[in-house]
Formats: sequence, structure tokens, C-alpha cells
Amino acid sequence: MIPAWQIHRNALVWLLLAFAGVILIHSTHLPNWITLAALVSAIWRVQRYRGVWPTPSRWVKLSLLAMCLAGLFLEYGSHLIGLEPMVALLVSAYALKLLEMEHRRDALLVVFLAFFIAAVQALFDQSIGNAIYILGCILLVIAALVGLHQGDDQSSQAQATKPRALPKLQALRSLKKGLVILLQAIPLMVLLFIIMPRLGSLWAVPIQSHSAKTGVTDTMRPGDYSRLGRSADLAFRVSFDGQIPRQHQLYWRGLVLSNFDGRQWSRSKHGAFDPEGLVEGSPLQWFGKPTQPWDSLIKRLGQPTRYSVVMEPSQQPWLYSLPTPVPQNTDIALTRDFRLISSEPITTKKQYEVDSWLDYKIETDPLSDFRRAAELYIPKGFNPRTVELAQRWRREISNDKALVRKVLGLYNEKFVYTLQPPLLGKHSVDEFLFDAQRGFCEHFSSSFVFFMRAAGVPARVVAGYQGGERHPDNYLLVRQYDAHVWAEVWIAGKGWIRVDPTAAVAPERIEANLEEALGDNEGFLADSPLSLIRFRHINWLNNFRLKLDSLNYSWARWVLGYDSIQKELLKNWLGAYNPMRIALALLIAGGGLLGLLALWQLRQRFSSKHDELDRVFLHLCQTLEKAGIPRETGEGPRAYAQRVAEQRPELARQVKAINSVYEHMRYGSESQERLKVLRKSIRRIK
Amino acid sequence: MVERLGQFFRDHFSHWVYRRLPPSRSVTLNNRSLFIFPSKAGFGFLLLILLCWLMATNYENNVVFAITCLLISVFVVAILHSFSNLSGLTLSFARATPAFAKEQLVVELVLKQRVLRQEQLRYRESLSLSFVGEDAVITTLGDQEEVRIKVSLYAPKRGLYSPGRLTLESVYPLGLLRVWTKVDLDISCLIYPQPVFDSPKTFVANSRGEGPLQVGDGSEDFVGLNDYQVGDSLKKIAWKHYAKERGMYTKHYSDYQDERIWLDWDDYPALDREARLSRLCGGLLQVSGTDKAYGLRLPGIEILPDNNEAHRLKVLRELALFEVPGRGQSV
Repeated sequence: MIPAWQIHRNALVWLLLAFAGVILIHSTHLPNWITLAALVSAIWRVQRYRGVWPTPSRWVKLSLLAMCLAGLFLEYGSHLIGLEPMVALLVSAYALKLLEMEHRRDALLVVFLAFFIAAVQALFDQSIGNAIYILGCILLVIAALVGLHQGDDQSSQAQATKPRALPKLQALRSLKKGLVILLQAIPLMVLLFIIMPRLGSLWAVPIQSHSAKTGVTDTMRPGDYSRLGRSADLAFRVSFDGQIPRQHQLYWRGLVLSNFDGRQWSRSKHGAFDPEGLVEGSPLQWFGKPTQPWDSLIKRLGQPTRYSVVMEPSQQPWLYSLPTPVPQNTDIALTRDFRLISSEPITTKKQYEVDSWLDYKIETDPLSDFRRAAELYIPKGFNPRTVELAQRWRREISNDKALVRKVLGLYNEKFVYTLQPPLLGKHSVDEFLFDAQRGFCEHFSSSFVFFMRAAGVPARVVAGYQGGERHPDNYLLVRQYDAHVWAEVWIAGKGWIRVDPTAAVAPERIEANLEEALGDNEGFLADSPLSLIRFRHINWLNNFRLKLDSLNYSWARWVLGYDSIQKELLKNWLGAYNPMRIALALLIAGGGLLGLLALWQLRQRFSSKHDELDRVFLHLCQTLEKAGIPRETGEGPRAYAQRVAEQRPELARQVKAINSVYEHMRYGSESQERLKVLRKSIRRIK
Repeated sequence: MVERLGQFFRDHFSHWVYRRLPPSRSVTLNNRSLFIFPSKAGFGFLLLILLCWLMATNYENNVVFAITCLLISVFVVAILHSFSNLSGLTLSFARATPAFAKEQLVVELVLKQRVLRQEQLRYRESLSLSFVGEDAVITTLGDQEEVRIKVSLYAPKRGLYSPGRLTLESVYPLGLLRVWTKVDLDISCLIYPQPVFDSPKTFVANSRGEGPLQVGDGSEDFVGLNDYQVGDSLKKIAWKHYAKERGMYTKHYSDYQDERIWLDWDDYPALDREARLSRLCGGLLQVSGTDKAYGLRLPGIEILPDNNEAHRLKVLRELALFEVPGRGQSV
């Protein structure tokens, strides 16, 4: 009697569109053959619907499945446990299921897979644009779900009275219904998002395996930083409680490089921690844990500056902060060389709060022999000319500070700051100082530190970022081209002092930004040809760029980094943060929202019969009031009609008729016709 | 044990439902009469939500967390939408077309949404109507005020038949929740006996009268010879012809018969009640196709011969309701 259930056109359209949307966004990290297979499967599905291609037989399906599994095995081999292989497996299942689905049950599985795979996409990219895209995909999936359960008008008896609706309109009806459901779900979603407690990772999960590490690395070779100067990618954003410090104070320390092998600077093994000197301590001081003995080496002066950093994924564990930092988040530690480090590599956006004392003194007491040796080490047999010059100047100038000034003066005199330095050979410092005399920040800092060490002054390279763009909304944007290296020298009685040799040759770099310092044709942003930053001089485009960034930043701070503020926020709102309060808030607010929704959704019944009728009746009362016969309080319609009839006999017949219609409608059944009659007769009374 | 417990709850639940929804020819669906519960797909969806939540929690990813929240709210909002698909509908029993036993009976139902203005009409999608043990009829109430639905059912036996509770359900819009009601529309359908056709001669009346000549089996006037057929009375065999070896014939006589035919209970002394009624019913179908008047005699009931549609229905009705308990009810 009832034809066997089949996926009709309306549902199929949305299933396929959702499929396309979900696969498209995943295609960037899927092997190409899976994307291709998905495409073939979608085409096959369409052709199947049109009756052109056959339904795949059992053997075809099995061999397709075997091929997919074999492909996945070949593609990922030994790295089968990971995010990408998992997604590839899911997507293959999704494509195969789409091809073979027959019954509503299959279609439901396809829909659930679509929801899940769309959600998985957010593990790869949490940006606001991507989130909106995923929302769009979810809308399509919901439309498909509606389509699956919508009446197939062509087979329904209801169409006896009505010509059948165009399939196109039907499909749009599914979308409309889906949209209504989605929009109505959003307030509740926001509420749940705000209130639902976050439990934190329950078990270790596979993470992305192929993502490139970006930004500053823990080694420095000539050329590394000039490469970063070509990129406008965001490194992190910072908002300060209060004023943003002046530009030349914004040295974001990330790494301290004390080891030099003649070519490359790298971190020393213990990161300035002296395993002999301070045996009772440990090299890391975690937030909330007891203070390490070496913490007393820092003298923090004045008031701290509080700021909050939202870091882009760097796949590295180190964090950036102004000196001298004290972390305010649990999974962050202060190291012995006075920088911050996270317990895990930064794979997704990370927000952290820091207090920094910009006025400080560190390690003013004489360095231990171990420390001193480490910060003075230079490999034998490299850069003989520099060593010779350094020793000559040392003999001439005994004051360390004067020596520093003399070297900086040398840079200032003849050196050129450029993104396109010449290549350097084995004695890189020699070649730079005596021959090329053109370089980027890594050349200046490397040669400076080498020079100082050769002259017997403890010195080290510090890597990080310098400066940043001030956004009108009072936060700072730090990009890859703000990557910078500078030096720290240790001077008896003063401790470690920051010296930036780049500032000596190109003060604009520190006071303004890299672009200013370089001038034209320097390859600035060469790797970001389409970046909006290139068009800063176009006013409206620049405003647009800043607005966009503001949005992205708010997204990162309030949505992605919500976990870190949730407790505080809820404590403020609810008075306390405990399961009881949370449940209560969820119940009350959720119930209120749902109540409103229910009123809206089911409003027709509330406004249908009586409201309309009462309006008409009220209108009648007003008309009669004008005619001089107001209705008494508590007087029923019938009594009122009686009284009107007595006082105005000429209206008696009409009023009685109206009353009878009213009563009939009120207590009997209503209809549109009757209401019209009623309206008409009331109008006639005037 | 679990099964028995389940059965226990099901029984109690249906008992509770039946008390909530007493029989009535017309039921307007509201929160009193509608029930809602996640469907199998709904439980699947809840599992999906759990998986998404695990993913969001383990990866500490707030976008996935937001998606999880969105799926939860979609599920909650779907409750309202599922409910409003059925709520406010009036389901009533229009009529049942009588049928013969063991055939398909057609029950006509009306689904109606009462509104004052045209734009208040809502699409009511994929409404499934079914009686216990019958296939469902799926209908859509578009933006029209009412729709008549014909549900055919198997008519099991003669008499007044009540098909029991009607289940009206829908999983629209998302298939995650099933909204249903089980209403007793107080339907009773008339089911005629299953007709059994005998050879036509059974229905010749044995009372004589002065009507026009009837070609039939009588004994008064010789009409001619017919070929002998097994079972013909030996008295009627034309023995003379047989003796002359001209073949075996029976002499054929005709009566001046009453053209009125009686469908008579007493014609089938050997049969039981239902078999007799079946034969009478078959006979009725045969004679009602002709222009002969026919009457019905049942113990205690006599319908005088006549021949028109109303008469036919009257006779069928008597056949249907003969010795049926509770026949006093109007149908």
C-alpha cells in the first residue's frame, strides 16, 4: 500500500550539498585521492538517483571499502594514530555510506557522520571564519535532516485538493525549517556555552602531526630572522590593563641563546640553571608552586604591568613576555633565565596572563664560575679577527659600559640594516664585521655577543619579538615580521642589561617598525603578497583590516580563551561557583529561554480564537461608549446588550444580533466568516 | 525478567493513556493528549552529542564545545517543533464505508487545523496514521484547513467492528523525537457477512403467485426438454425419448411464479448461522443486480421484498447485525 521508503530528491539535494561543504573544508589536510573518491561517490549518487548508473553491488561496495582501507594504510603507514588519519577514515566512511545509502536509517547515519566531521574540522582551525563556515555546514545538514522527514507531497493524499508543490519549493521549505530551528537554538547554545563547566582533558588524544612550526625557533643562524621579516602572520595579541608601554620597552622575551658553535646559537642545556650552584632548586618555577631559591636573584622594582596574551599556535612550548614576568596561569612556569614556558607545545590558540615588572635588576651578585664560564664561552678557531680586535679594545677600555658604547658606535658608523644580507662563510662574525657590514638583527646581535664574550664580558643572545602594531581598540598585534634578536650583557653591580645593537644602526626599527627601518624594495612582506597590511596606506582598507582584527581578537579572547575567564565570570554572576548554582542557573535561564521559544512557536493558539474576538468586542464597546452607553465593570456581554437595547431601542436588533454571534463564537466554534460578519455589523452601528 | 518488566510498564502506560484519552469521535490534540519521546534516531543523536562533547573536552577546543552546545539546543528546540507539528490538530472520524468480512474496510478520518486567518495555517508534515496491526497512512496537511484521509483496514468478521485505538504520530522535523497519540475515535464499522455464491436456482421462491411467466424450475406447464444433467430429478427425465434412444433429456416445466424472491434463513437447514448468512449475502448480491424484488426472512425478522438501494442496504445491515450483541447502537 505504502511505497517502500526511498530518499527523495528534496533530502538528497541537501545531503549532497552538506557533503560538498564538509568535504571541501577538509580537503586541505586530506590526501587528494580521498577528496577525489568523495567527488566520484557524490557523482555516482546523483547518477544513481537519475537512474543512469546502477546501485553498487555488494562486491563493488566491499572492494571500494578494501581500496579505501588499503589507501589509508599506504598513506599513513606507521602514523595511523593521529588526527589526520582519523579524519581520513571518517571521510572515507562518509563518502562510501553516501554512495550506498538505501533506507532512511542509512541516510541518518550519513547525517550524523556529517555533523561529526563538520565538528572535527574545528580541531584544525578555530578561526571565526571557519566557525561560521562550520555553522553553514550544520545548517545544510539540518536541512537534509528535515528533508528526510518531510512529507513527500507527490505520494501524499493531501495533494488531492491542491496541485502538487514544485520540488524546488519543497527543498527550500526544508532549508527554511532548518534555519528556523538553528536560529532558535542559538540563544540556548550561548547559554550552555557560558555555563557548562569545562572538565579539561580526560585522556591524551592524538594531535595534528604535520603542522609546521612557525615563528621564532630555539636556534639562530644567519638568515633565520630575515625569513620571518617576510611574513605578516600573526604571532600573538596582547591587551594591557591600562596603557600600552612605550614602543622601545616592548621587548618580548621568548628564548635565551647562550651556546655558540661558531655558526649557530642555541639554548644551553640547563637554561642558565646551575646544577652545582643551587642544588636545592629546580630550573622551573610553576605558577602556584613554592618559589625557587633563584627567584631571589630578581629584584622587581615599582608597580607590575598586567597584560593578557593570546598566542597563535606555534607548535613550540615557549611563551613571550616582557621582562621580568610572573605567570598567572597554572600550566606556565618561569625559567631560570627569566622567561616563560608552557607545559605543552602551543597547538591551538592559547591565552595567558602575566605580571611584568618593567623596572628590574637581575643577577646583580657576581656570577658563579659555572655561570660565568657558560656566558663567556666562544668556540676555538672561529672569527680570529674579531677576537683580536676585542682583546685590543679591552686593553684600551677597562669600563664594560664604555666598551659596549664603543662597539655600538662602530655599528652606527658604517653598518647597513637590510633584509637581504649577503651570505656568510665559516667566520661569519669576521665577515660581517669587517667585510659585508650589511645585515639583519641576527647578524648584529650575534656579532655583538661574540665580541663581548671575546672581550671578557658575559653576554647572551635573546630571541623574541620587538614592538607590535597598536590597534585602536587598545591592544597590540605582534606579527612574525616583528621577530627580533638582541643581546644581554652582564655588568658587575648592575646585573643583566639589555643591549640592542640593531637600535644602534636602525633606531626606526625600535621606535617605529620594520617597514620604516627598511624603506622600499627590501623584500618586506615578500611572503605575504596579499596581506592587507601591504595596503595600510589605503584608509578604508586599513580601517577594514583593523576592524577585522578586532573581531578576530575578541573571538580569540572571549570564545577560544573562555575557559580561563569562565570561573571568574560565573562567580561574579552567580555569587558562587558550585554545581548547585550552575545547575540552578542553567535551569532558570534555560527554562526561561525555552518558555519564550514555546510562546513564540505555539503563539497561534494563544492569539487565535479569543484574542481576535476580544479585540472585536472591545471595538464594539468603544463604539457604544462614544454613543453614550459605556459598559459597566463586570457587566457581561449579554446583560450589556440588554441594557443597550433598552436605552437605544433603534440599536436593539443589531446589538442583539452581534451578541448572539459573539456568544456563539465565544462558546461554540469560531470561523473566519462569522468574524467578518461581526466586524461588519459593528461598523454599521456608528 | 527485563522483558516482563518492560511489558508491565507498557501495560501500565497504555492503561494510563487510555484513561487520559477516553473514546470520543473528535479529539483536538494538545499537551494533554500528545506524548513525546526520543526516537531511535534521537538516541543516536544523543550519542553523537556525547562524542562531540568528549572531543571538545579532550582537545579543550571551544569551537567544538560550542558545536556540542548547538547540537544540544537543536535537540531541545526540536522538541517544540515536533510537538507543534501535531498540536492543535483536530482528528475526527468522518465515516466508515461498510465492507464485507475478510475484505478491506475504508475508514474516513478528518484532520483539521482551526484557524481564524489564512496565514496562521501551518504545514503539518508527515503525519502517520495507523490502526493496530495495520500499515500506516502518511499524509501531509499543507497550508489547507483540513484533509480527509482514507485508511483501509482488514475487516475481520461480520458485525459491528471497532478497529481500536488509532495511533497518530510524527517524527517531523528532525526525526529525533517521536510525538504520538493513541486516540479512540469511537469508530464502529458495519461489516457484512462474507458473501458465498451458490448457483442461482437456490433463490427461486417456492411460494406461487400470479406473476408473469418465469423461466425456472417448476412443475406446472411443460416448456420443453433440456439436456440431462447429473442430479436432475429422476421424475423429470423424458423416459420416452430415452427409450427411443434419442438421448437423455429432462422434461422442463415452468411455474407461474411470484417474481419476488425471498432470501430465506430456512433454505439452509444444514448450515450454521454464519454460513447461512454468507449464502444469503451472496444471494442478495446476485439478485440485487437484477430488477427482481427480494425480501429477507430471518428468525424474528422479515423484510418485505423490494428493489432499490436503500432496501439493499437495509437488508445488508440486517445480515450484518443479525444476532450481534449490542446492535442497538447507531451506526
